[in-house]
Order: sequence, then structure tokens, then C-alpha cells
Amino acid sequence: MPDILINGQTVQARTGQTVLEVALANGIFVPYFCWHPQLSSAGNCRMCLVEVEGRGLDIACNMPVSAGMQVLTDSAEVKAHRKAMLQFMTLNHPVDCGICDKAGECRLQDYHYTYNGEPSKSFEPKIHSNKYYNLSSRILLDNERCILCLRCTRFTHEVSKSMALGVERRGDASNIRAAEDRPLDEDPYSDNIVDLCPVGALQSRQFLYKARVWYLEPTPSVCPGCERGCTVQIWHRKPEWRLKALDPRQNASIARVTPLENPAVNGPWICNKGRDLARIFERRRAEQAMLKGIPVPLVDAVDAARALIGAAHRPAALLSNWGSNEELAAFKQYLGAVFAAFVKRDCEPEPGERVEDDLLIRPDKNPNTAGARALFGEPVAMLPEGTDLVLVWGEGCDFANLPRGAPIIFLNAYLRPENGYADVFMPLSVQTERHGHYTNFQGIVSEFQPCFPKPDSIADAETLFMALAAPAGVRR
Amino acid sequence: MAGRQLLMTFPVTANSHTLAEYRARGGYTVLENTLHHHTPRDVTQAVADAGLQGRGGAAFPTGRKWSVVVPGDGQPHYLIANADEGEPGTFKDRWILEQAPHLLLEGMLLSAYAIEARNCFIYIRGEFDLPYRRVAAAVEEAYAAGWLGDGIGGTGFGCDIVVYRGAGAYVAGEASGLISSLEGKKSYPRNRPPRLTVRGLYQRPTVVNNVESLSNVTGIVAHGAAAFRAVGTEKSPGTRLFSVSGHVNRPGVYEVELGFPWRKFIDEDCGGVLGGKPLKAVVPGGISSKVMTAAEVETLRLSHEDLWSAGSTLGSGGMIVVAEGTCMVRLLQIMLRFYHHESCGQCTPCRDGTGWMHRILDRIVAGEGRPEDIERLYYIAKYNDGTTICGLGDAAGYAASGMLDKFRDEFEFWIAHKHSRCQGRIECPIS
Repeated sequence: MPDILINGQTVQARTGQTVLEVALANGIFVPYFCWHPQLSSAGNCRMCLVEVEGRGLDIACNMPVSAGMQVLTDSAEVKAHRKAMLQFMTLNHPVDCGICDKAGECRLQDYHYTYNGEPSKSFEPKIHSNKYYNLSSRILLDNERCILCLRCTRFTHEVSKSMALGVERRGDASNIRAAEDRPLDEDPYSDNIVDLCPVGALQSRQFLYKARVWYLEPTPSVCPGCERGCTVQIWHRKPEWRLKALDPRQNASIARVTPLENPAVNGPWICNKGRDLARIFERRRAEQAMLKGIPVPLVDAVDAARALIGAAHRPAALLSNWGSNEELAAFKQYLGAVFAAFVKRDCEPEPGERVEDDLLIRPDKNPNTAGARALFGEPVAMLPEGTDLVLVWGEGCDFANLPRGAPIIFLNAYLRPENGYADVFMPLSVQTERHGHYTNFQGIVSEFQPCFPKPDSIADAETLFMALAAPAGVRR
Repeated sequence: MAGRQLLMTFPVTANSHTLAEYRARGGYTVLENTLHHHTPRDVTQAVADAGLQGRGGAAFPTGRKWSVVVPGDGQPHYLIANADEGEPGTFKDRWILEQAPHLLLEGMLLSAYAIEARNCFIYIRGEFDLPYRRVAAAVEEAYAAGWLGDGIGGTGFGCDIVVYRGAGAYVAGEASGLISSLEGKKSYPRNRPPRLTVRGLYQRPTVVNNVESLSNVTGIVAHGAAAFRAVGTEKSPGTRLFSVSGHVNRPGVYEVELGFPWRKFIDEDCGGVLGGKPLKAVVPGGISSKVMTAAEVETLRLSHEDLWSAGSTLGSGGMIVVAEGTCMVRLLQIMLRFYHHESCGQCTPCRDGTGWMHRILDRIVAGEGRPEDIERLYYIAKYNDGTTICGLGDAAGYAASGMLDKFRDEFEFWIAHKHSRCQGRIECPIS
């Protein structure tokens, strides 16, 4: 355990750590662009230069600690060099923060105001380069903004292992480019490089010009894309910055999804499916309860369902493994004695989707298989003989496979043709409208928070189960 | 002749580079003798005692570099001869590669024996054609004669040498950039630590030595450290090859005993300045060393300590002689164009700084200079010094600040009058 001195303060370090790691762990901030805790140290941005007494300046990210070393992170020399590095970085940088999606969360912008703040010392015209370079179907590259920290290339080499990115040409003509035979399109983790990019060079096509980040706020959530259950942040407009004139749905839509760092589950990464949660949650929603396709108020639908349950002799339930632990427990508590309950798989891998890999992606494309299994056992393919009522909760059930003649109570969130075939249909809330927990395949429980209010005509599954459990004729 | 000679000891003929002639001159006997009668430790000790300094530019003691490699640490070691001679003005290794390739091979075998390297590489500059053919032929000859491969000289020592041709990046001449290139990657230099002698090629301890340094090993082992130290000065033992170019009557490669008076060398060996012009300046060791004025050349000896005390370095031994009447602004413009073109683009100060300096010079030459430009050039040079991964960034700064220190008035003149004081000439004006 070598003790080192940073700015005169004694801090504890472990052998093998770098000065940058020790400084950050002890709340002493040293600015950096290219360094990332999950990537190898490239040491090319030269922003983390610190002074070591007796040894002069060197980069902290590649400096092993040694006992008794005296590090200065804010000496006059260090400050002057930081200014100079920022001068170099902004030399040909277009400073088009006004139209840059990264503005507001850009390291270059933050550091400029914190450590430099001076106008450029250059009299030369800026060198122009590609803007909107088509890196992949999901990502655009702005070469003028790129500071060549090589975080993105290192990510594709060290984490996603797609080897999709490299550097073309050299000197100040260097450009990040995608390998021709290993296109970035095939890398299911490609969007992480957009988060990794410390400046606005890599832009998500999805998020391009969609919002200024300071109008958005993140809500912690869990990606339902597979049983990994990566923790994510769902970004949406802050209530105080609600749009008034446009389509109100804009205020209840997902602006973007970013990883929520979680060492136990997903580290700092998520896959591209997690970025596309809007594709799952913003499908057309069912907002109207129905009896055989005829719209009715929700309370009437609940009454009809209770009547069916009361009349049935051998009712069975197909439960959703997209239900939260709370919802599944509520079913067990209120209806567990009434129904023979079985879990179904709501989602199967889509054609072309990566099914499984070594990094994050798991073959079961449902978020709470483990939580459902703990309460109701393994998913089944067939319902028992003699079933005379089926309650179907969630997607992934082909009504043609259900016992002929048995009435169907269907609970689903999205607008589907089968909604109208069910004897009773009740619309449900989606994950972004409620609070709950999922248990992932490792048994780790993660929490999701509501991002948006749910429409009035829609109930949570928990509420519905409680209502269905009440004797027929009693209103909620 | 500029003092005693250690490398250029034989008359160059059409066949003097062949194995037969090298054997006739006593070639490979030192190796044979060493393999039979000496330990690797003896070789390392001899090189360390001789005080041999690296001939590639940094003049780092070769013995100290080798001493980091731990013998018998259970991992493979590598030896690389750096023949990627790319420093502008430098072509001295080319003489060894063309005329004495077996001297290099014998030196490499001795060095490999010392650091226990089974596999060695010669990273040769891609543009070198005859040198490549000569070295490749020499390696083949040596394999055929049993001086390379397994069981060399009837001992258990085996060694293989691979000749690898570079693809034309200046920065691949930097040891760690060379290793990246040899590994098949872009020749990005690496951050230290770890040192290359701890983790180099394929993450194993690797010694990268200049061709001339390795060629000197044979003589040191043959005659002993004391004999080597008897040549040259106390702090700069031995001789150095200088490749002299520019405005001299007899440009070429010369072997100079270190400590030899500089002016005398230029006047006598190199035949003086072209056209009998007065001397204006000399770039002592490749453009990465700071330029020296005629007055400094007058007083200095060609030794590491003399040049260091004068704020420059012997560098790679690429001596560029500049006659009076040459425009130093244009000369610096050409130097900076080179650094801008050759910067690998990995780290910020050099990637952006070299281009910035080059564009400032272009603007001055175009007659659009501003008085602040000189201060800007100093600023860029200052913040390139010691902040980059390899020495290229520092070197570009040295070239600029060296030129500005010594010839600032010419820059000020061009900025003020929008034309050169010397008609913008870089060729020697002979009337």
C-alpha cells in the first residue's frame, strides 16, 4: 500500500494503480479525454498531464504509483499545459456547439470553460473536414469535431471485439473510419461509442437534433430486451420544459436511452436493442377495454371478467414474464388460488437479432423470466386438459393454440388484432408508466421508475388483479 | 581523415560487402571466440564498460539499455536493429547496410547472445533498395554458412534474423513506433512506462538498437572496452558516422573520431563550403537537433558533451551544412512541412502543433506574416516539448525554436517586408 502525496494531501494507493485512478478515487479531479476505466490507456489526449516533483510533467493515466511520490495536479505549469492542450484541440475544432447534440455534456466544452476560457491563439483559418460522415446506419461522424482520442476504436477492439473502427491517414488528416469488411452495422454494441465520445464527433442518428440535453432528464430503468436486465437511463423531457404547441405525445416519448453504470450486471455498456426501447414502448397502445371487440368502460370489462371467473371450473392463466416482481406477486396473492398459473414467453428472438454473445446479450428475450420462474415454475407449451377459461397476460400467445371454446380474458398494453377476439380485453400500463423490479438471470433484482403518467383509461396489472379477485358484483 | 576509425577500416570495392571478403578481414571470428570462451554477461559488461552510446539520436548508453533485460527470466527476448533511417539529412546507416552488412549481423549476433534473444529483426526503411538487397543477401549468406540458425559455431547458441521492410513512416523509426509497425499495426509510438526493455515487441522484453550501435559491438568485444574508450573523448567514446549533405564540396558519409574539431572536419574532410562561400549554419544531427551558427561550429568539437553544452545534440549524425545566402525561413518551412507530413496523429500537441507551425510558416512566406507569429511559434514549440508520446513533437519544436533563437532577425525581416532577406533561396548561390 504505497502512500502518495497529491497536492500535499496524503492518499492511499494500491500497487498497480495509476496516479489518475488514485486521484479520481480520492475526489481530486484530473481532466481527461481519452482515458476510460473500462478501456486500455491510450495516453494520447495529453490532457491529464500532472507534475511529479523531481520528474517534471507526465500523463497521470499512464503513471504507476510509487511510494512517496509527490504529485501536483494544479501547479502553474500544469495549468499552463492544460490551456495549451485545449488550444491544440480547438485549433481546427469548428466550435459549432450551437448545433451540436453533445453540447451540455461535452468534455471539451466543460474543460474549455473550466481550464482555458481564452480565445484561440491561432490566426489560421480552420481546416475543414467531413461532417455527417456515414459511419453506420446508426451513427454519423463529424470529423471536424473529432479529437482522435480513439475511445471508439479501442471500444470496438477491446469490448465489442467487432474491430469495426480504425484510423485512416495520419497527422492532422487522421480520420476515424469503419472497416469495410467488418461494418459497424453488424456490431450490436455500436451505439456505446456515441456515449464514449467525449466530444460531439459521434452522433446517434436516432437522437440527431432531437433535443438539447439540458431539456431532458434521465429516469433509472431496466432494459426489458433480454434476461440480462441491463440498467439504463431513459431520457425524456423535464416537466418544466414540456413542449406546449406540438403533439402532446412528444412530452411522453423517450428521447434516448443510455446505460446506467452497474458493475454487477452490465458495467457501463448496453446493446443497441436497449437504445431502441422506444421501438418497444412506443408501439400503438391499446387504451380501450373491450368485450368481444365492443368498446366498454374498464369497470364493465372487469365485471364481465369476474363473471367469467366465477362461472369457470378449471380456469388457467398464462402469465407474462414481462411482468414485474410486484405484479407477479400480486397475481399469486389475489388470483393464485383461483387459476392454474403458467408462465409463457412473451418474446422470442427476432429474425436477424443477435441471440447470444459473451458480453451482454442473453438468449431469453424477456426481462423477468427468473422472477416469474421463482413464483410459478418453468414456462409451459401446453395448457392442461379441460381448461374452460384462459386469462392471457401480455404478448406472445397465439389464441389458435388455446383450448377451443374456453373464453379468453386478455390483458395487453398494445394495439393488436387479437385484442378484439378476446371475450374480455383490458389495456395495461407499460414499464415506463410504473414502478417495479425485475430479477435477471443472475438473480440480481433491478428497479425501474415511472417516466411518464399513464393514460386515464388504463390500469396497472396489479390493480386489475386485485379487482378481479373481488367477488362478482362488488365494484372497485 | 578525421581521427581514428573503427568501422570504415577496409577499402570499399565491388565485393567488399560479401561474406567471403568479410571472412578474409577476420569476420565472425569474434563471434566464434565469444560463443566458445565467454558468457553473455561478458559481452554486456564489455559494452557497458566501453560506454557505447546509442547512435540513433538519443545517445542513450547501450549497456544500460541492455542491463534492463533480465537473463533467464523465462520469457523470450527480442533484438531489433533499427535500420529505418528516416531523419532528414541522415544516411549513415545506409553505408553500413550497403558496405558492411556482415559487420551488423555479427554485432547483432553478439548482442543477441548477450541479451539471450533467439529472434532478431532488422527493420529496414522501405525506400532503401540496395541496402535491403545487400542485407537480405548477407542474411542468406550467413544462414548458408551457419552463422545464423541453430547451433552457431558448433555451440548451442541459435539465432534467427528476419529482415522486415518498413512502409515509409518517419515515426516508425522511433523504437516503439517501429515495434507497433513490426507487429503489423499502424506505427503509433507507445507510452512509457513500460519501457520496451520490459515490454516491447509482442509484450516481451525487447532491445531496439541503431544499426551503427550494433555494428560497434563487434569491435568492442574484439578489442575490449579499454581500446574503445581510447578512441574519442572521455564522455563520448568511439567514433561516429556522419552523413554530410548540403552546401559542402564533398558530401558523403564520414567516420569521425568523437572530439574532432567541427570546423576542421568541414573544411578538410568535406572540402569546405560549396563555392567558397562563408559558412552560415550547420544542422548537426538531423533536423531534430537545433541548428548551430557558424560561430558555434568554429569553437565546438564533435562530441556529445560539446553539443549538449551548446544546447543541441549530435542526434543521428545527419549533418546539413548551410552556406551564407541561404534563407533560413524557407529552410524552417521545409523542416516543418516534413514534421507536419510525418506526424502520426496520435497525440494532440504534435498532431495539431506541427500543422499549426507549418501553416504559420506558409503564411509568413506568402507575405502575410504577423509580428505575433514568432511568439506563436515559440508557444507551440514550448508546449510540444515533453508533452508528447514520442520525440517527434519535441523535435519539431526544437527545429522551430532553434531556428528562431539563432536567426530571428530573418523571420522578422520577412514578416515586416513581406519578402526574404536572402531572396528566399535554399540552394547555394554560386556566382
